[in-house]
Amino acid sequence: MGETKQMTAKELSKRLTKTYYEGAKHAHEQGKFIAYTTAVSPAELFYAHDVIPIYPENHSVMMITHRMTAELSESIERKGYTSHLCAYARSDLGFRELHKSPIGGIPDPDFLLACNAQCFTLTKWFEVLSRRYDAPLFVFDTPQFIRDKKAREEIIKYVMEQIYEMIEALERLTGKKFDFDRLREVIEYSRQASILYKKYLDLASYKPSPISIFDALINMAITVYLRGTPDAVEFYRLLIDETMENKVKKGIGVIPNEKYRLYWENLPIWFKFRDHFNLLASYGAVILTSLYVHAWSYDFDPSDPVRTLAENYASVFSNVELEERAEMALDLFKRYSLNGNLMFLNRSCKAVSFAVHELRDIITKKTGVPALVFESDMGDPRFYSESQIRTRIEAYLETLDQLSYDRERGLRD
Amino acid sequence: MKKEDVLKTLHEISMDPFPYLESKREKGFKIIGSPLADVPSELIHAAGLMPVTILGTNRPIVKAGGHLPDNACSLSRSNLELVLNYQPRSFDGFVFPQVCDTTQHLSDIWKMTISSEFFASFLIPRQVDRPSARHWFYAETRRLKEQLEAYTGNPFGREALEESFSLYNEARRLLRKIYGIKRKNPAALSNRQLFDLIRAFCYMDPRDLIPMLETMTENLPKEKAEDENVRVVLSGIVVEPSQLLDILDELGVSIVGDDLTVGTRMIAYDVPEAEDPLEALTARHFDKSPFSPIRDVGTRLYDHLLGLFETTGADGIIFFHIKFCESQDYDLPDLKHIMRERRIPMIVLDTEYQSVTKAQTKTRLEAFIESLYGERENG
Repeated sequence: MGETKQMTAKELSKRLTKTYYEGAKHAHEQGKFIAYTTAVSPAELFYAHDVIPIYPENHSVMMITHRMTAELSESIERKGYTSHLCAYARSDLGFRELHKSPIGGIPDPDFLLACNAQCFTLTKWFEVLSRRYDAPLFVFDTPQFIRDKKAREEIIKYVMEQIYEMIEALERLTGKKFDFDRLREVIEYSRQASILYKKYLDLASYKPSPISIFDALINMAITVYLRGTPDAVEFYRLLIDETMENKVKKGIGVIPNEKYRLYWENLPIWFKFRDHFNLLASYGAVILTSLYVHAWSYDFDPSDPVRTLAENYASVFSNVELEERAEMALDLFKRYSLNGNLMFLNRSCKAVSFAVHELRDIITKKTGVPALVFESDMGDPRFYSESQIRTRIEAYLETLDQLSYDRERGLRD
Repeated sequence: MKKEDVLKTLHEISMDPFPYLESKREKGFKIIGSPLADVPSELIHAAGLMPVTILGTNRPIVKAGGHLPDNACSLSRSNLELVLNYQPRSFDGFVFPQVCDTTQHLSDIWKMTISSEFFASFLIPRQVDRPSARHWFYAETRRLKEQLEAYTGNPFGREALEESFSLYNEARRLLRKIYGIKRKNPAALSNRQLFDLIRAFCYMDPRDLIPMLETMTENLPKEKAEDENVRVVLSGIVVEPSQLLDILDELGVSIVGDDLTVGTRMIAYDVPEAEDPLEALTARHFDKSPFSPIRDVGTRLYDHLLGLFETTGADGIIFFHIKFCESQDYDLPDLKHIMRERRIPMIVLDTEYQSVTKAQTKTRLEAFIESLYGERENG
C-alpha cells in the first residue's frame, strides 16, 4: 500500500484498470466466471460471489475514443445491423467481427445481466450476445420508477424478488452458495466509493471549479467497474485529496477566467470531448456536470443489502419520470450555480434523448437559462458535423455573452 | 345485416373508428386509448369504460416531429400525431403501456403534451420466464384496476370482469373461426378483409362486434376449397399501411398464419377461468406468443415463427419491419441468418405509416411472390 500512496490518482487509475482487465483476461484459466453486465446494475452481486463483472459499454467507450467505431460499425452493417443502433452496441458487435480493440479485447461471457433502468437497448444487444455465446441472459427488469408511493413499493418488491432470483441463478452457474455477509461487505465498499465519487463530482460547485465534466468522465470509469472493491474507495480518496491540494486550496480553476458554468444533458460525445473543452474554454465556458455522471452517485445502506440494491438501481435518472428527472437536473443547476445549458440529442441513445424537448422546456422555464439543443452521435463520427456543431456552440456562447451584457446593464431580468 | 354490409361497416371502422367511438361516447361511454402492447382491454371494459387500442395514423406527420426525433419508430410517431393533431378530443383518458425505450419516454411526452381526464402507466414486465414476472404483472393489473375504480368512482368485481372476459373471449373465438375458414377456403374473404376485422376488434365494444362476426361466420362458405395461391406467414408487429394487404390480394397470396401483434397475437389468447379474475388475466398474458421488445425464453422468439411456418405448410415468410423499431432491428440479422440456413424464403419489408416507398415495396413483394411461385413449379 505504501507504494500506491506515492502514486498520483491518474497513475493509480491506470494501474487499477490494467490489473482489472488482466484479471479478467485470465479469469477462465483460474476457474473464475465472467459475467457481462450493464453500467447501472447490481454488480455487487458479482463481486460478492467472486464472479468478474465485465462492462462491454466501457470497452466500447475505449473503442470510440480510439476512433474505431466507424470501421467496427461498418463491419456489422454488412451483416445487416443498421447504423442507427447504439454506438456502444455497434462498436461491441464490430469488435466481435474484426477482433480489434485498443486493449486486446475482453473475454467471452459465461453469463449476462441486462438491467433496463439505463435503457432497453442493452437487453436487445445482450440478447444478440447471449445467442452468440450460448450464455444465459438475465434481464433485471426495473419498471419506470413512477412517482406514486404505492407503485414504488410494489416496484421495489418486484426488483428485490429479482435480486433473489439472480442470486439463485449465480448459485446455479457457479455451484457455490451465495454469502450474504460478503454481500454486505461489498456494498459497504460501494457505499464508501459512491459517497467519495459524489464528493468528487461536487467539487465542481467551487468557484472557480477545479474540475470540468471531462475530469468527471475520465474518473468515472473506476466507480463503474470497481465499485464494491476497496480499490475504488482508495482511488476516490486520493483523487479528492489531490484535487483539493492542487486546485481548490490554491483557488485554481480548471480554466482561467471562468465565466460560464454549463450543464451538459446526455452522454458525452466521447471522441470530441477534448475539442469541446478547448472551444468552450476560449469563451470562458466550462461544462461542469450532467445527470449522466451522477448516475453512479448511489446511496447504499449495507444493513439491508437486497433492498438497498433495488432502491438504488431502480431510481437512476434515466428510469424516473421526466418531471423528476428535470428536478434532479435543476438541483445541479442550483448547487453548482450553472448559467448555461448544452442539450445533446444523442442519436445513439434513445432512452436519454427522446424527451429532450420537454426537458428543455421545464429547465429553461425554471432557470431562465437559455438552452442549446443539438443533434449528433456519442460515438460515430459519421454522424458528427464538425462545422455545424462548432457554429452552433459559438452562436450559443455569443447569446450568453449578449445576455450577460444586457443583465449587467439592467436591460433584462 | 348482410355479410357484405358487415364487411363494409367493419372496413370503415378499421380505417376510421372515430365516428363509431363518438357514437359510443354519446351513449355515455368514456373512451380510453392505449398504444399497442398488452394492455388488458377486458379490465378497462369491466370498469364500464370503452377501451380502444390506438393504431396510429397514415396521415402526414405534422406535430409529432417537434416532440419525438425522426429516429423514433414510425408507430410511436404516428400514434402521437394521431392524438396530438388529428383526434385531439377523441379520448377521455389513456392507459399507457411501456415495453421499450420509445414507449417509456413517449409516456412522459404524452403526459406533458396531451391533456386528458385520466392517465395510467401500465408497466409490463419485460421478462417472462421467472416467477417475479407473474407476480409483477398481477400487482400491476391490480394497481390499474384500482386506478380505474378511482377514476370512475365505481368499484367493480368478479361479476363485471367475468362478463367482459366472456365477451372478449367470444369475439376472439369468432375471429379465430373466420381465420380458420379463410385458411381452408382462401377465397372466402380477402386478406385485407380478414385484417380489417382484427383492426375493428381493436376499436370496438365486443357487444357491438359479436353480432356482426356471427353474421360473418354464418354466411361464409364452410367447405374446403382448392388453393392455387402461394401461402405465406406474416411476421412482425403490424402491417402498415393496410394497403399492403391489398397488394398481397392482388398478387395472389394466401395468408395462412401470422405472429403479428395486430393479428393472431391479438385474437389467439383467451382469458381462462380462474378463482381470481386478476390471476386469470395474468395467466393469459404469459400464454401469449413472443413479442420482440420483451425478453423471452432462449430463442423462443425465432422458434415460434419457425414452428408456425412448419405447421401451416407455408411457402414463405413476409416480415414487416417498422421503420426505426429498434427491437426488430436487433432481432433481424440473426433471424435472416436462421432462415437462410434453413432455406426458408423470407422477405423483410421496411414499412412506415406515412409510406412514400409503396411502389418500391410493391415491386419487391412482386419479385418475392414470383420467386415463391417459381420454387413451387420447380418443386
